[in-house]
Amino acid sequence: MADTKDLGEVVATDILIIGGGIGGLVTAIKAKEENPNADVLIVEKQTTGWAGKATKIGGILAFLGPDNNADKFMDFQVRNSGFYLNDQDLLSKYVQSSYRAIENFNEWGAKLARTPDENLVIIPAFWAPEWSLTFIDIDLMLPIRTRARKMGVKFMDKIHVVDLVKQANKITGAVGFDIINGNFHIFKAKATVLANGSCGYKVRRFWIAGTGDGIAAAYRAGAEMRNAEYGNLYGHTVWQDTDSGMVGHQFLVNSLGENLTQKYLPNTGPTGVFLPVQLAIGLEKEVAEGRGPIYFEPPPSTGPGFPPMDLPKLNDWQRCTAEKESKYGLPPTVKREIGVPLHGETSCIKVDHEMRTSLEGLWAIGDTSYAGSAVAGAVASPPGVTPGSGIMYAVISAGWAGPSAARYAKEASTSDIDYAETKNLEEEIFSPMQSGNNFLPGDAINTLQEVTAPIKYNLRRSRERLNEALIRLEELKVKIPHLKAKDYHYLSKCHEVKSMVLCAELTFRAALMREESRGSHFREDYPKRIDENWLKWIILKQDGGRMKLATQSVPIDKYEIKPND
Amino acid sequence: MNEPRNWVNKIEIDMDACKGCKTCMNACFADVIRWNDADNKPVVAYPEDCVWCLACEVACPTQCIEVIPNIPAPLRSSY
Repeated sequence: MADTKDLGEVVATDILIIGGGIGGLVTAIKAKEENPNADVLIVEKQTTGWAGKATKIGGILAFLGPDNNADKFMDFQVRNSGFYLNDQDLLSKYVQSSYRAIENFNEWGAKLARTPDENLVIIPAFWAPEWSLTFIDIDLMLPIRTRARKMGVKFMDKIHVVDLVKQANKITGAVGFDIINGNFHIFKAKATVLANGSCGYKVRRFWIAGTGDGIAAAYRAGAEMRNAEYGNLYGHTVWQDTDSGMVGHQFLVNSLGENLTQKYLPNTGPTGVFLPVQLAIGLEKEVAEGRGPIYFEPPPSTGPGFPPMDLPKLNDWQRCTAEKESKYGLPPTVKREIGVPLHGETSCIKVDHEMRTSLEGLWAIGDTSYAGSAVAGAVASPPGVTPGSGIMYAVISAGWAGPSAARYAKEASTSDIDYAETKNLEEEIFSPMQSGNNFLPGDAINTLQEVTAPIKYNLRRSRERLNEALIRLEELKVKIPHLKAKDYHYLSKCHEVKSMVLCAELTFRAALMREESRGSHFREDYPKRIDENWLKWIILKQDGGRMKLATQSVPIDKYEIKPND
Repeated sequence: MNEPRNWVNKIEIDMDACKGCKTCMNACFADVIRWNDADNKPVVAYPEDCVWCLACEVACPTQCIEVIPNIPAPLRSSY
């Protein structure tokens, strides 16, 4: 009789965590704290402790400081960032959990910014009232990995998990392949946690790891999605500064020298570090009407405004980056022209307050479910006007999911994995290695970015343009079966393409359904927020091979903060 | 259509200075660096995927890596 172990290496564990970034590591630690006897395995596409986004640029951690007022922050967040699409109960839970997460970093041995007398550096967040920030060194994951290892957590690196496997409505494990040698792996698990990030469509360089693999796998397995229309931030970046800068949109001017924040956002309050919708659309208009390019012209005294901090790895990285820009960049006399890249953060797996998905046995944390949790509301993660929450949400949501998954796994039994289903998945996974295929993943990514990146499709939305984007996506989908992988590195890329195309479709279909404008979703044909019709979340799921959309009312009556209070 | 170039021009590794610790390979979040077990040295296998995050260069204990970027940034235009 055929056996799944004839197909590849079978590994059984109590808790399978897919993704070895900060969220996956903390999930593992929290699961072990709940049940030290549980077998916990992290499977990572690259290397656990280095993977993902948490080590890039340098960790800003935003939280409720000892002197902050939680109610006032909540009020700002719901009214000015989430626009009433927040799950306010979960947001409150998040806010109240935030300082404990900072203490956790200290306990795990990650280096936090300290004052000369060893107190935690706490700075008011300039983008939101009653909110604080501090900094953490960019090697933060290494001591956390060491701690997880000492607790008995196991790691398997360089394995791209492609799909979940299930019996009835219950997730029983996952399958993937080794990106170095191509070996097929079958993971049997009582509980599975997705911790492998959002989808950024590989536009910005520090966010290329986010390809939506977990989101796509969950969708294909039948999990519900929520807030998929909110994955579309836009940043501004100075070409010469090489796509790392995000601050200072108040210093953008057109070729006539007009200040564009004053032109498009007169008399506004805090607007965060990402581009507000009206400003981003304004920049597009300036260029279209011949007043481009757009330049970044801060006054000479303008700097980041942060104190020097004893974070050695971050300091090394900043020094090295500055040297590169000085040595290989354009001279300082060249005017600083900006680009407006999509900062994709599709993170739409719907979860409850313990980060459980709609499928039994499956949890989703961090940037797989930031929008889907509804903690942020009508804005992509990290919440557009309150950045500094990417690492924090990963750690806090891991703190909810780890114990929940451990308790579940303690009572659950391991299910068999179906041979025929696994065989089909194996054939599908390796199909881009077929000799007749000819569609290169790099070409597919270029085509995909032409649909996801333009403001005209993903920010200045309309029925006509969203339908046009969906038609272009359909044309791309027709070519997906012809994706060609010349080796297992490129096989991984082919599956990243599939994941990203699916995330784009979720985004555009949800955006087409929401016939209003709210938060970072702007419809040129429905430019007003319409609370009477749209205090609703859009829910998407696969049904009979088709993408089915529905709505779920936001329980605004039970929440403290309501429109027009 | 503006087709972005690669983010990186070149990645140079001084193999004589390299101690074979694998930190660079582990630090890479884009699978750019692979390992040659025969001589216990790194291989720049997929330079087209490097985004000069500089994790390898900064983490290398013997400072034997130099990543040379392409500037201006080859970002896809949103207009």
